[in-house]
Amino acid sequence: MFEQYEADGLFDEMFAEPNKPRAHYEAVVARLKALGPSAVARRVRMADLTFRNQGITFTVYSDQRGVEKIFPFDMVPRIIPADEWEMIERGLVQRITALNLFCQDIYHEQRILRERIIPPDLIYGAKMFRREMFHVNVPRNIYIHICGTDLIRDKQGRYLVLEDNGRTPSGVSYVLENRGVMKRVFPTMFSAYKVRAIEDYPHNLLQCLKHVAPKRADEPTIVVLTPGTYNSAYFEHSFLARQMGVELVEGQDLVVDNSFVYMRTTAGLRRVDVIYRRVDDDFLDPLCFRSDSCLGVAGLMNAYRCGNLALANAVGTGVADDKAVYAYVPDMIKFYLGQDAILPNVPTYICARDDDRKYVLENLDKLVVKSTNESGGYGMLMGHQASREERATFAERIAADPRNYIAQPVVELSQHPSLIDDRFEGRRIDLRPYILYGEKVIVMPGGLTRVALRKGSLVVNSSQGGGSKDTWVLEAKDETVAAPKSSKEVTVST
Amino acid sequence: MTPLSIPRSIQFSVLHAARPMLARDADAMYWMSRYVERAEHVARLLLVTSNLLIDVGDLAPKLQEQQWHGVLHIMRTEAAPPEGTGSVGIRIAQYMTFDRENPNSLISCVSRARENARGIREIISAEMWENLNTLYWSLRAEEAPARFEDSTDDFYRQVMTGSMLFQGLTDQTLAHDQRWLFTQLAKFLERIDVTSRVIETKFNILRASEFLENALRNIHWMAVLRSCCSIEGYRRQHLGDMDPNRVASFLVLERDFPRSIRYAVGMAHTAIASIRAEVNPLSIDPAERILGRLNAQLEYAEPAEIFADGLPAYLQNLQEQIGEAAMAVQKSYFLH
Repeated sequence: MFEQYEADGLFDEMFAEPNKPRAHYEAVVARLKALGPSAVARRVRMADLTFRNQGITFTVYSDQRGVEKIFPFDMVPRIIPADEWEMIERGLVQRITALNLFCQDIYHEQRILRERIIPPDLIYGAKMFRREMFHVNVPRNIYIHICGTDLIRDKQGRYLVLEDNGRTPSGVSYVLENRGVMKRVFPTMFSAYKVRAIEDYPHNLLQCLKHVAPKRADEPTIVVLTPGTYNSAYFEHSFLARQMGVELVEGQDLVVDNSFVYMRTTAGLRRVDVIYRRVDDDFLDPLCFRSDSCLGVAGLMNAYRCGNLALANAVGTGVADDKAVYAYVPDMIKFYLGQDAILPNVPTYICARDDDRKYVLENLDKLVVKSTNESGGYGMLMGHQASREERATFAERIAADPRNYIAQPVVELSQHPSLIDDRFEGRRIDLRPYILYGEKVIVMPGGLTRVALRKGSLVVNSSQGGGSKDTWVLEAKDETVAAPKSSKEVTVST
Repeated sequence: MTPLSIPRSIQFSVLHAARPMLARDADAMYWMSRYVERAEHVARLLLVTSNLLIDVGDLAPKLQEQQWHGVLHIMRTEAAPPEGTGSVGIRIAQYMTFDRENPNSLISCVSRARENARGIREIISAEMWENLNTLYWSLRAEEAPARFEDSTDDFYRQVMTGSMLFQGLTDQTLAHDQRWLFTQLAKFLERIDVTSRVIETKFNILRASEFLENALRNIHWMAVLRSCCSIEGYRRQHLGDMDPNRVASFLVLERDFPRSIRYAVGMAHTAIASIRAEVNPLSIDPAERILGRLNAQLEYAEPAEIFADGLPAYLQNLQEQIGEAAMAVQKSYFLH
């Protein structure tokens, strides 16, 4: 199964050198070998069937009318030892803290601009900067309640931050479902490890939402706002509402009266206090943002400004996950917290700067170019893989609208074994941990490990042929439980 | 203080502890349930009609054709059966099973039920969703037509079982609150509608076939009972005596049999009254009024009454009232 496995000069998560697994992977490798290809394949089919029957799907837009697809599940778990995770966790807490201070500052005093840490035109030129939020006080000064920060590892195995998703990061439902399926299909694989539980995420999310509810005498009414069943992440919206036991509403279910938001029920109108919204700023309120939006609620922003409603995440957080602003996050950390960033950024060229732009245009074949506001792997150029024409088109676009582009050197993502047909091959992965900012900051131990299932591909997004795997963060003690003898394993498997 | 003397204020708040339900969710709950029930009726009708052909062979080809067209009529599918090779029966069976353009085909009913369920996954139980989703994928599977060819009987039985399992899961895994009440209301309204149309249509077909000899007539009447899942219930009541008027009386007026119209009207009335009591304790809504009157009528009816102006006229009137009740439900609860 692992006979022809090659590291290809990349950082391999599982193997330190050919046929020599890292200590924390030994038990998994032994278990897989003991099971053998046909038993593994049978269990993978079980897993696929579970995903389909439970409707754990996402919707792809490019297909006509949107088609439900199963998010491909790769059964080889990714394992993160406790000491690595401890560092990641500290880095993420530091980052979300700085990002929240940044949002609060940008929409109030703007000290970071006045002290010339970040050039003002970069902020005012950000598409997601919301003038409407200027001097609006949000509940408990929290802007980014839920953050999904994408981490990658380079050839040396260093963890780097690729981007922050501070608007409506998705994928957490797959993390929870992957774990559920993994426990059902490969229960014995867990026995050699102490894997940290993630199942309390919905509970923590609910607490986080309650924390920002307007102070009134009664229990707050919390809802999840979805664009509807045709949205690519609809499964997740429904999943989270179900797990938290709150209503899942669409824009048409809500109405604003006298600066309060209500939902339409069979018994008339009921007041809503907190909205976990999975609708972008642009579509939230046709009176304030895009007037052609049918997904939002007229008057919602007014209720928000009056303090009668809490939104998670707050409006305007897009300014913090703009890909050009991203380049300044280490400076923000220094500025607001007086610390050095624990998790480094990927070096980033900002095309709005003359020197950077010149360099980018001259070296397009070595760089990855990204539009500052797109997500999901859209609007990207992989310079080293692109054709001459594609590069020329991008050069024109950059020249026409430099603010909208950044470029980064190609980072050779780490690889991890994936089950491809009946054997294991290396595929590139990243990691999206989920961070909740409520009464305290809680980082879910693990997160979504996405896999670029196409051979040699560096793009892990589900919309671009990516899959995902279960991610295990080990408990601090006993993290390197010795692999059980393989003979014992065989008896367990039959 | 005795346990019964709870202060009024607390009683009041307990009464209102019921969780409000989104109007859109109630709508989806209702249609999910109606389409699941409809799928079961379509499957049973097709199964019984196919089996009838096996039983009576080629004895009365005209009658057979009428029976197949009757299936379309019952399901309000007035379009002509699609052109193509094969007998009328085969073409209609295919059309009513796999044709996605036909809104009342099996696949359309199950797809719509599932589409509605998908919109309210957070308020139905995981068991209900998984069951319906599995049924959906089994019909959408590539090998579904081959399974159909292999054993039509098994194929339809699987759908019927799937529908009944779903209803059982609804009873056993969902709190019997407003959500459940809407599924009950929908299920019984659909059952009343289809059952009354089955009786009406079959009655008309068989009345026009006076030429049939007795043995054959009995087989056709048994098929009517089978179409309504009522053959065993009827046999216990009437010891197998296949009298058309008795069959009709049984299907319309039987008190305790869950497939009879009277039973279904009673259940639908209870459901709407409970919903209304929760939402608006102090009034009566139009749907409740219609179903309440109908319930009283059926409860006190003499068997002769349903034949007074001819059974078809009686049933048509009943269908109109059920239609009005369904409209009133939409107005009162879904269109806030």
